[in-house]
Amino acid sequence: MRFKRHIGEAATLVAAAALSALVANALARSERKLPLVGTYPNALKVPEMKAEDPPAPAPVPTPALSPSDTRAQAPSEVSSKVNAGGAAAPKPLAGKAGAPAAAKLPLEESPLSRFPPHPDKPFVEISGDDAAWLVARGILVVDARRKKDYEQGHVAGARNISPWEGDADAKITALVNEGRDGAIPVVIYCSGGDCEDSHMLATRIYGGGFNNLLVYRDGWPDWVKRGGKSATGPEPAP
Amino acid sequence: MTLTERLASPWLTVRVQIALGVFFVVAALPKVVDPPGFAHMIYNYRIVPGAFVNLMALVMPWFELLTGIALILGIWTRTSAALIGALLGVFIVAITFNLARGNAIDCGCFDVTAAGKSVAERLQDMRWVVIRDLGMIVMVAQILWATGRTRPATA
Repeated sequence: MRFKRHIGEAATLVAAAALSALVANALARSERKLPLVGTYPNALKVPEMKAEDPPAPAPVPTPALSPSDTRAQAPSEVSSKVNAGGAAAPKPLAGKAGAPAAAKLPLEESPLSRFPPHPDKPFVEISGDDAAWLVARGILVVDARRKKDYEQGHVAGARNISPWEGDADAKITALVNEGRDGAIPVVIYCSGGDCEDSHMLATRIYGGGFNNLLVYRDGWPDWVKRGGKSATGPEPAP
Repeated sequence: MTLTERLASPWLTVRVQIALGVFFVVAALPKVVDPPGFAHMIYNYRIVPGAFVNLMALVMPWFELLTGIALILGIWTRTSAALIGALLGVFIVAITFNLARGNAIDCGCFDVTAAGKSVAERLQDMRWVVIRDLGMIVMVAQILWATGRTRPATA
């Protein structure tokens, strides 16, 4: 009898918690909302821990830099790497002072010729130099960090799609429906270190016809360090 | 008054109840406010299937909050204490499992943002979390034991 009473009390607490959670989630703002069923294919896959690697840094708020003060740096060297599977390494960049054999290359490459599509895998990792080179050429940049971190500072012109927030699917659908050429590179970044939100987002966007997604491996902390052009505040209305 | 009587005294039990309840309410609030952040924390444990991560991130904080409040208010004390004990057991197993396989994580116990610590620091923090949770299991045991002793036999 007493046992039954305790079971009843426990069931009531569980039911009250579930009901409260559902109501709160229904009323929450989009960045605080979660779909009831998660889509995390690597949820059971343990990441490789590298003791020598720096941890994923906490978001670094930085003031917006005026265009006159900052500029996206031209790449100083070719250092892009590809994820497992290995895509063709990008060609050395032309026009770099002191670069060996630079004179043999055309003065300007297009993003597409330097970063060809890789339809066989969702993303390729790139360095900060490559990201800066691409940003300077106006390609689409997506910030995969949480909205509050994005608003504190982001790569100038970047969109914000956090794979953890409730509006991620809607934003991905909107991006796909814009009818962009899926072969044109798209740079995605998060907080560097062991942050994998950009990889997670790339995997989700990949399904929407984009086959040239480039994950900026060192992400926002590296962008701040190299003085890349940044902005603060909410995402501009489409 | 013997040591046993002191340990089972209502004076001590009420204080243990309130302390444990406050722990759980304080731990629950950041997770209730930011379910996506907590989902990320749960994901980092790599033991919950992807489909259930969000549901767990939504319900568990409210469960912690309600059991904590019940404990503070002295409502359904034994049931709440037992549920909190079960939760602590799950936490200890989850953290110990990840410690054993070297998956360094932020525990997500009282905060849902990454602390930006090194792998070694995170592993050390996880050891302290297990010790702290074991301490809270002792508090749960005191509540269950003391309330079991003082409960009327006919209840």
